Amino acid sequence: MNPQVRNIAELDRVIHEPGRLMVVALLFAVERADFLYLQTETGLNKGTLSSHLSRLEEEGYVEVTKGYRGKVPQTLLCLTPAGRKAFEQYRKKMRAAL
Amino acid sequence: MNQIDSLLERPKAYCNIDGVSELSVGVMTLTFALIQWVQVHTTRNSAWHKSTWFIFMGMVAIIHYGSKAIKEHITYPRTGYVEYPKSTQRLSAPLAAAIAVVIVAGLSVAVRSYWDLSMPVSFMGLLFAVIYARGFARTVAWKWAMFGILAAGSLVIAVLPVDVMGILAKDSWVPGVLSARATGVFWLTLMLSGVTFLVSGAITFWLYLRHTQAPAQ
Repeated sequence: MNPQVRNIAELDRVIHEPGRLMVVALLFAVERADFLYLQTETGLNKGTLSSHLSRLEEEGYVEVTKGYRGKVPQTLLCLTPAGRKAFEQYRKKMRAAL
Repeated sequence: MNQIDSLLERPKAYCNIDGVSELSVGVMTLTFALIQWVQVHTTRNSAWHKSTWFIFMGMVAIIHYGSKAIKEHITYPRTGYVEYPKSTQRLSAPLAAAIAVVIVAGLSVAVRSYWDLSMPVSFMGLLFAVIYARGFARTVAWKWAMFGILAAGSLVIAVLPVDVMGILAKDSWVPGVLSARATGVFWLTLMLSGVTFLVSGAITFWLYLRHTQAPAQ
């Protein structure tokens, strides 16, 4: 198989979905961010964003912490080491494929 | 790939989405202008001359608590909370401190050696313009107009005649020790840069308030 084609075939499909890719890329650049920030930056609605986050959490790429900021409920999200590694691999393969 | 790279840059730009960074630089620069004014126009033994440390501490408190209050009560409830990696925070603080130490040490050496600082100080405004362009103007188109004002203003200050620049230091102890022109250029540049950063930050803050609102709970 052509190496470029192989790189495309080996892309992580969990990250490759556009909505999840936006979430992972934004979280990669920060230590932690809350749900509202991701919603503002991605433009996704609550339901869609929640389902992407659940998928990423299921895969062990994102860690979700629920808490409060003052009296307001807050959902904090961060990439796990596995999530960071997976995103770095994804970028590497994308660069090689393009 | 470019789109992914631009996504990776977005959290950095988010830091100044409300204009707080520009407002902080503006307040800091105008405070330094005030400190310089007080130092130039008071005798060395007066209480005002010695009060500059308190003005400096007041500035630090205003910037720290003011930024925190805006972020906590306006930015986070409207567009969300972001925590930046500790590694960048750890690196940037010592780097800023090191640069400040080098500048202060350089200025001290220059003053003690009676070097004429008029020329290098004349172009200090361009340094502020570059900092503004790199730090803030890159992200928003209208900020290039502010950059233009800052750069053009700095050049005008650099070519103003000695008599005009010396007015600031008139009737003060400065002419005996420092170049009156350098003192005038330094003060005017601080004022111009401070006002530009403050206006730019205020516009950014106003636009932010206008285009965002806290989501219904």
